[in-house]
Amino acid sequence: MNRGMESSIKIEERAAVWLARRDSEAWSATDEAAFNAWLEQSTLHVVAFVRLEAAWKQAKRLKALSAGVNSGDVPSPEGWQLTSFFDRATRTEEAPTVAAPTHEQAVPGYTAPSNVRHTRLTQRWAVAASLLVAFGASIAFYKWPFDSIYRTPVGGTAAVPIGDGSNVTLNTDSRIRLDITDTERRVELQKGEAFFDVAKDPSRPFVVQAGEKRVVAVGTQFSVRRDEDEVRVFVTEGKVRIEDETESSHDKKGDGEILTLSAGNIARTGDAGVIVDQKTISEVEGYLSWRTGYLIFRDTPLADAVAEFNRYNARKIVIRDPVVAAIRVSGKFRSTQFEAFVRILEDGFPVRARRVDDQIVLTDGRALREKEAALQ
Amino acid sequence: MYCKVVDEALNAWFAREILTHEAALVRYLTRLWPQRQDVHDLRQEIYMRVYEAAKTRRPHAPKSFLFTTARHLMSDRVRRSRVVSMEAIGDLDSLNVSVEEVSPERRLQARQELMQLARAFSALPPRCREVVWLRRVDELSQKEVANRLNITEKTVESHIVKGTRLLADIFFGRKVDGEQLDNSRTNEGESGHGKQHKD
Repeated sequence: MNRGMESSIKIEERAAVWLARRDSEAWSATDEAAFNAWLEQSTLHVVAFVRLEAAWKQAKRLKALSAGVNSGDVPSPEGWQLTSFFDRATRTEEAPTVAAPTHEQAVPGYTAPSNVRHTRLTQRWAVAASLLVAFGASIAFYKWPFDSIYRTPVGGTAAVPIGDGSNVTLNTDSRIRLDITDTERRVELQKGEAFFDVAKDPSRPFVVQAGEKRVVAVGTQFSVRRDEDEVRVFVTEGKVRIEDETESSHDKKGDGEILTLSAGNIARTGDAGVIVDQKTISEVEGYLSWRTGYLIFRDTPLADAVAEFNRYNARKIVIRDPVVAAIRVSGKFRSTQFEAFVRILEDGFPVRARRVDDQIVLTDGRALREKEAALQ
Repeated sequence: MYCKVVDEALNAWFAREILTHEAALVRYLTRLWPQRQDVHDLRQEIYMRVYEAAKTRRPHAPKSFLFTTARHLMSDRVRRSRVVSMEAIGDLDSLNVSVEEVSPERRLQARQELMQLARAFSALPPRCREVVWLRRVDELSQKEVANRLNITEKTVESHIVKGTRLLADIFFGRKVDGEQLDNSRTNEGESGHGKQHKD
């Protein structure tokens, strides 16, 4: 903190003194010169003065309220409360947060000052808690009345209730269709990504169908993500089977692939078949941090990080430079705070961000920096 | 660096487009910056940066610019104090509320502004209020005000000193009594609040 320099309070006190003195007839040319010199010392002086002067100028507009007040009289607050001028305005205004006057009488019509003193921690937890609640409970899902389709908006997540004790969490911009019967609990992942916490029910397999693939679980936790035709499965607990949808689940003699994944596996389907990665469970959970509203990047190419952010935000980030696309980033970011992400990029890397229409375009900032450096 | 001070247009712009958001800005700073006693200083430095930038060119989205400047400054300070990981800075923004540019109807209408002014005025200590009224509305000279109220001109001046600061705090900052962040009101026989802030 700038303890070594003039405190902002002291500057304000000084500015007020200058303003009051300037307001008197005794103001001389010497005073004016001294005043200008003080202003020239720092822009901090200037803005302190400009702010006070602006309030002082506003005070002149009190004239508009002087009708009915005898010259030489000063209106009391109570007097004003009774004018219809204010009555009309009060009704449409939001609750005022105004200082209660410091003299003895309580003035009708003023709200009591709220003496809220939160410590930083309390306040942050309070807001964080309310954010979490908002996340989980507010617009939980959009449900179509005629079909069990659930969807989330861009940037939203939602908890979808299944009657059996399983939990399904939808990620951004996703859509599922539920089909729960006596013999099967089926979820069709039409779009996006969902995390499944499946309650054990041996009589009813839990099936997630995504495109041409089917993920079958008995009692487990896993996530399925669908990007067009590519399907990824992340397993954090238990085991799942991946099968081809076209195969009947009872047909044991079919040549369709059946793949079993266990906790720590990430499977990605593609033209060449299914590729399985073995990671630690905590790494897999890193991919699922979206459930708490965060994105975690570990040495991730910026192109991928940006693609992730774009899933959660209507305004898209676009990279126009292969050099920029290859930058590696690590960190933990709130999925909807892409502005903060872009800002951190600009601060820490040779990246330049520009708003173009409704996109944010990232380009190589090095040439610009060099130019700026050359101009110094 | 020499700054030409009598740039009336710039000052008017600053009051209209920046100071008008003081209450929101201070709430924002108070939420994100752990040391409350620094908020006044932060606010003023933010104002300074905005003022300097606006000298060359007025930002076309003043409120966004103001809050962006605020975030940059806080990030800078965090970095300088070496408290840092990208996560800390990321977290600083985690409570960020998206700042949509103020739409015309959100801006205080003239009537509401006048009301806010009236409230600010009414909240002044009695003597202060009298001085401000007589000076600004009845347009009496300081000498005449002194005569009318039976006080010295010096005292009139000191009431103006106090009154202007309070007006600014209440009109721009919507300060609520008891929540003075700078605790700088002096006691003058009124039911004094706050202590003199010695620095």
